[in-house]
This record gives sequence, structure tokens and C-alpha cells, in this order.
Amino acid sequence: MGEFEVHRVRFFGLVPAGVRCMAYQHNGRRLALARTDGAVEVYNFAANYYMEKVSGGRERGGQGWRLFGAGLSGDITEYDLERLRPARAVDGFGGPIWSMAANNDGTRLAIGCEDGSVKLFQVVPGGGVQFEKNLDRQKGRVLCLSWHPSGTHLAAGSIDFIRVLDVHSGRTAQRIMVNCHVPKSKKRECVVWSIAFLSSGTVISSDSFGRVQFWDWERGTLQDSHTVSSSAALSLAVSEKEDSIVVGTSAGATYQFQLLPVKAGGQEKRWVRTKPFQHHTHDVRAVVHTPTALISGGLDAQLVIRPLMEKVQKKGYDAALRKFTLPHRRLVSCARKARLLLFQFSQHLELWRLGSTNKTGKDGETLPLSRMPEHLLQLKSKGPEHIYCSCVSPCGSWIAYSTASRFHLYRVQHEGDSISVKKVPGVPKLLLPAYQLLCASDSGRLFIASDRGSVHVVQLLEPGGCKHLHTLRPPAGTREAVYLLASSADGNWLAAVSGDWEVHVYSLKHFKHHCTVPTYSCAVTALAIHPTTNNLFISYSDQQLFEFSIPEKQYTAWSRAVQNSGLHKLWLERDSPITHIAFNPKNTSQVLLHDVYMLCVLDKSLPLPDDSAVLVNQSTLKQLSEPARRRQLHAFKICKKFQVGSPLLFADLLDERCLVTVERPALDISAQLPPPVQQKKFGT
Amino acid sequence: MVRRRRRQEKEAAPVAPAAAPPSSEDDEAPEELSFGTARAEAEAERKLVGEAARRHRELLKEKRRRRQELFAEQKRRKLLPEALLQELAAAPPARADERSPAAAPEFSLDKRPQGVSAKQNEGRIPGQVKKDKAGGTRSKGNYIAVHLKDENLTGLHQQTAKDFIHSQLYGPGTNRTSANEFFSIANKKDLVKKAAVQFVDKSWGLEKKQRATKFTKYWVARKVTNTL
Repeated sequence: MGEFEVHRVRFFGLVPAGVRCMAYQHNGRRLALARTDGAVEVYNFAANYYMEKVSGGRERGGQGWRLFGAGLSGDITEYDLERLRPARAVDGFGGPIWSMAANNDGTRLAIGCEDGSVKLFQVVPGGGVQFEKNLDRQKGRVLCLSWHPSGTHLAAGSIDFIRVLDVHSGRTAQRIMVNCHVPKSKKRECVVWSIAFLSSGTVISSDSFGRVQFWDWERGTLQDSHTVSSSAALSLAVSEKEDSIVVGTSAGATYQFQLLPVKAGGQEKRWVRTKPFQHHTHDVRAVVHTPTALISGGLDAQLVIRPLMEKVQKKGYDAALRKFTLPHRRLVSCARKARLLLFQFSQHLELWRLGSTNKTGKDGETLPLSRMPEHLLQLKSKGPEHIYCSCVSPCGSWIAYSTASRFHLYRVQHEGDSISVKKVPGVPKLLLPAYQLLCASDSGRLFIASDRGSVHVVQLLEPGGCKHLHTLRPPAGTREAVYLLASSADGNWLAAVSGDWEVHVYSLKHFKHHCTVPTYSCAVTALAIHPTTNNLFISYSDQQLFEFSIPEKQYTAWSRAVQNSGLHKLWLERDSPITHIAFNPKNTSQVLLHDVYMLCVLDKSLPLPDDSAVLVNQSTLKQLSEPARRRQLHAFKICKKFQVGSPLLFADLLDERCLVTVERPALDISAQLPPPVQQKKFGT
Repeated sequence: MVRRRRRQEKEAAPVAPAAAPPSSEDDEAPEELSFGTARAEAEAERKLVGEAARRHRELLKEKRRRRQELFAEQKRRKLLPEALLQELAAAPPARADERSPAAAPEFSLDKRPQGVSAKQNEGRIPGQVKKDKAGGTRSKGNYIAVHLKDENLTGLHQQTAKDFIHSQLYGPGTNRTSANEFFSIANKKDLVKKAAVQFVDKSWGLEKKQRATKFTKYWVARKVTNTL
């Protein structure tokens, strides 16, 4: 494996935003998730829960499908999922929108507004929504909405009461006071945070007193009440069969309720609280009930997918508990020559110079720093838009980033210890937004991934100028945007992955399409081109690895051998995708891969491990004698030797002896989160 | 007034050199001078001074002229274009009132119209504002032109909505603690006992800490040199 001098960077102060709301699409098995800072993410459950798409936006609230978003700005926004940006916005004219619900066949959208009105919108097939009518308006903000599965009635939750509205006439059919049995002296306002309407006519509400209540809407009577928490019960979701619900509370716990017969074999059924889960530390603002799993998202920025074991048939991806906190994208870019790191936050960028040491030591020793890491620069993006992508050139003198509507290029001049930044004027007007930026290894060109599968090639000119050279497009055309790029070290090849998971290779000498990598039915998570052999190394979200020879336009012999023998079982069962691939410049057979939990040096010259071999064997190998070690060696050399609970965000080789890793201790993230609910612990 | 001052200067000019020679004579030691040479000298000096005064006056004149031109130029710049002015004059006064503030930002280079709108936002009575707009195009004020953000109704609604959600989730009676306390309790109750997440504010005693690290470095270096 060789020894490396490792820079363990822990000064990337990323704090992911909390999860605000979620929407699940059953057919496509995709989950849309909105965060409190307005970002929208789409997870593909079929492709091993890979975070496919990210769209930076503004403050948003609820959602339906054919993804609509609404928020406190009072607009209903439809998202363009191919171009990953808000497509159209319609003003709701009711003040901030608190809730949104689509009916079962997806033709109508109801919104609940600040002023107490419930408005119906027709979903126009071509795109956008059209106002249909106002339903009966009453004072008090409408915090949650739910359609009756037949689409004839709507349940709306407000402060202190629930209303059931007749969609056809627009009248209030029933008004239920949630709080009427509480004595007047103790009365506090009771906020109905979430509501669900079952086909049997039961309305389920969860409120700020931590109660889950079941109402008969026609009589307006309480059927059942469960107090699940001393703090608020914030979110509620029902399974498609209506036999199970999941409730999320302010204290971070989620509870499952099931409709079970009172006696075994009897007809009478009641709602029973069955399973509590405590996966979150903070408020659970959104829950989703899929046929096989409970999904919860909290203000601690975690998305937790908890499979229901009785619904899972076989052991596989679906049977494991998953937690996602950090995005499946690279937020760090590294200037190898200049030893700089660029960190991407949602609204700003930070440029740091790595520290250095002049000492050498043995394996495992911590070397003292002769120069501390230095925060050189902070670039703030103007306006509410999020930064989609950013990059720093290998020489460290160019910084580029893109938001939804603007592309910025900066020239950074290093004079000794001082640094100056100048915005490059006359940036070519390109189709925006850019989804990925990449600088060529000689810092002479910038590749900008754009929508419809196109990649713009921009030449960077000294001192501080740029020129648009060419736009590369796939020959067949595609509607999806390019989201990953890789260029070769000699500057001849460029590989681009679009949202339909096709990998196109272009020749940069002639600006021509060279070939397409055979399509694989999974999302590409990372790719890189080997500097000497020009082999394209691709990792997929189902943890498969492929090597494709660009000059020969076919998979290499090693890749075929891997497919024949199969990868190790434990390797395939990992749950986080590989986000970056790098190569050892000294040893052509070594490939550096990393995901959130591990760092792996893949040695292609060694035999692949079979399922009986131990996959993570570095520590045992160390204790063995030389000949025994020879026998035990295999291709995957996995290192998990960083702090427990500190996810790895980035790892790259600066040169053949030097490695940089960016870690983000989980405790540092949680220390910066909003205040959690106090929980009484015995003995404290 | 300017002309009067100029006349005063003209009157003063010949007097000044006459007053000057005696003082210089007083300073210098007594010297034998024939009357003719002295007169010639005095005359030459007076001429010189007169010349200087004239030049000074001309310079002043030039300066004033330039400033006048600048004013005229500025005035022209501030005014709306000729065609628009004519159109405005032709239009009935009520309509002109409406149009001028709307059209002004597009054509004029200075920031007055925005200044007017800024004043407007400070909370004047609407009726008064209209008068201001009409006269405002001409008057000069001692102000800074700032374009305030439109404080409209949706912003207000949004703020109340945010306040509501904050008071419901984090307000009194919601029983919240700080993240530090929360996780520290978790550490304390853990099977493996751990320290608090953050002991104190990290900015406390920064100087002392720096001194301590410096001292440690120095101490280590000394140890190393001693052992060698």
C-alpha cells in the first residue's frame, strides 16, 4: 500500500440544513426532500438510495408529485427535474403557504394559506397549475391539509380546530374543536401540525400537545386519543393500505401505530401504538410511510430509512437501516499543485491553504505542524440562490462557481503570503445553471456541465480572461443534465455523465464525440480517467466498479475479471456511494476510492478477495509474518482509521507521498444545530 | 455682489504696493538712493504687483467661468431629455405628475428619483408625497440617495409566519435546552463516560492559551536540544 503523509483536515465547518418536508413517489420509488434552507433533493431508492438531484432554491414548504413546492414566500413552484431548477411559479394570493396536498390521481392541488383560505389549483398536464376555486374561508392559518382518497372532501388543520371541507360545494362540512374538553383555566392554543384523512372517514390529527387523535368526521366525535410525547407531535403519514401510520415528534422519536384486531381473529379493530424509534436527536418535521419502510427527516439534518422487517422478504439493500446526513456529492475541490482546498457551502466558498510540516515520522505518528493551515479567502454569493457547484484549478489561481442563474469566475493572485482576487470580466453567456465544474489538469481549460447533456469548454486566458471554445453534445441528444465530469491528465479526453446515467467520452483534440460507455442500470457516483493509461474508472451506486479503456473503446481485462468473479459481499453491502476516485501517480495499478465511512486503495495487480476472505484486513496483516501476509493480501486495502463518527467528506492524493482527507466530526455538526427538546434523564 | 467685490479689488490694488515700500524700507538698513532710481524702482514694483493682481483676477474669472459651465452642464444632465420635456409640457399636469417619477430612473443619470422614493418610504402622508414629486425634480437637497427595499405586505406576512413557527417550536413552554447541554447529558449517561461537548466558550482566555502553546513549543524545543 505504501506510506502516505496524511493531512487530516477538520476545518470544513459544514452544517447541513434540517429536513423540512418530504414527498414519496411510489411508481418511480423516488423521494423528494426539502431542507429548511430551501434546497430540494431527490433520492432514487431503486439506485441504492442515491441522491440524484439537487436544486438550490429559497425557503419552501410542502410538496406533491410532478414535484411542486410551496413556501412562506406564497408562491407555488413547479420544479423542472431534468434541468434541476424551479420551472414556473404561481402566486397563491393567500399569503405564506403552510401546506399543500395533491389528490390521489394527481389532477388537483390544494393549498392552505396564512389567511385561513384553502385554494384549489388544477394541475395542467403541459406544466404549471391553474387556479380553480377558493373553498370556505375561516380565520386562522391552515397548517395542514389532507385529501379524502375519493377526492370529495378535504381535511384542514388549524390552530385549535379541524375542518372538513366539501370540495364540490366549497362549504365547511364539519368543524371539530380539538381542545374542547380541556378546562378553560388550563387552555393553551393547540396547533394541529399534521392531519390524515382515511377512506373509512376517520381523520387522524397530531397536535402540539403531543397527541395523536382519531376522529369520526361525520359525527365530529373523538374515537381514540394517544399521547405519544410531552412535546409536539409534528408529522404524520399513512401507509397506502391504511393499516399503519407513523408519527414524528419534537423530541426526535417516531412511533408506528397499527390497526390491529382487538382479539385474535376478531372483527373489531383498533389503532395500537406498536413500535417506537429514536433515531433523531432533534424535531422530526417530516415522515413518509412507504410499503416497506418508515422514512423520517429531522431538523438534525438526518434522513433515516427504517425498513419494516415484517414487510421485507429477503436480505438486501432494503433490509438495512440507512441514515443520510451529508450530501452524496463532492463539496470540496482540491488544488493539488498549490495545496489549496476549496470548500463549498450553500451560500459561500472558503479557500484554505494546507498546513505543512518539516518532520518525518514512523507509521501512525502525528507530525507537528511547522505552518498552520490558513484561511485565505471567503467568497460570498449574493442573493438567496444556492451555489450548485464550484471548483478551483490545480494551480490554485482560478476559482469558478455557479448558482441557479449566474456563473462566476475569479482570478486569484498569490503574492507571497498576500492574496488578491479579481472577478474575470466578460464571462461568456452560457446556458445556466452549471451542474458541475471541472478544471483541466494544466489549468488551461474549464469544463462546464450544462443541461441537455451538453458540456461547454471554456479557455482560461492569462491574465484574467476567458473564451468560449466549444460546446460538446451527445450525438443522440438527451433531456437530462450532465452531473459528473472527468478529464484526462494529457488533456485529450473528457467523460461526462448525464442524468439518464449515460457516460459519454469526448475527444478534446477534435471536439468530437468519441464513444459511449455501455449503459448500466444504475447511477454513476464517481468517475476518473487514469493519467497514464487513459482508462476510465467508474463506480456505480450499487457499488460496482468498472474500468473502461477509452482508446480501445471497451472494458479492460481487469474489469471483465471483476465482473466474472464478482466483488466481495461486504463491499457490495456498504451503504454509502463512492464520491471520489483518484490515482497514485507512482504506481499505475493503484486506485484511491473513498466514501463517507472508509478510504480504500485498490491494487489491481493483486488478486480479488472471494467471499470467504476478510475484506477489512489491514490491521491483521500488520501482525502477520511476511510469507503469511503474502498469502492474505488482496486488492482492497481499506482504511477506516479516522475518528469514530466523523464522516469522510473528501480524500485525494496531492502527490505520490501525500494524501489529504477532509473529515467532519458528527459531534461538531450536532453542537451547531438548533436547540433540542430537553429530556429528563434519571440521575442527572 | 461679485462685481462689487471686483471693484473693491481694483481700488485696493494700487494702494497695496504704495503701502509696501515703506515697510520694506523700514526693515532694511538706510541706503543711499537717488530719487530717480528709487522712483523707477517703485514704479517697476508697482507694475509688477499690478500685473500679478490682474493675473490673479483673470484666473479667478476663468475659474468662475468654468464652474458656471459645470453648473450648466449638471443642470442639463439632471433635466430629462428635450423630447420628453416637451412631451411633458404638452401633457396635462395631472398626468405629468404620474409619469415623471416613473420615467425618471430610466433617463436621468443622478439618483434623485430614488431619493424621493426613499423619502417616501420613511413614512410621509401620501398627499404630501405627490407634491414633493412634482417639485422634487428641481430642488436640491442635502441627502444621500438610497434605494430601500420594498417593505411590502408579503414580507410582513412572511415575517409573522416565521415568528409563529419559531414561537411554537422554540418559544416559552417548549422546554428546549442548548445542544451542548443535551449532548453532554448523553455523554454522561453513556456506558462509556465522556466529557462535555463544549466546556466553555472557546473564545475565552485566547491570549493565555496562545501563550501556553508558545511556551509548550519552547519547552519541547529546549528538551530536544538538551537530550541531543
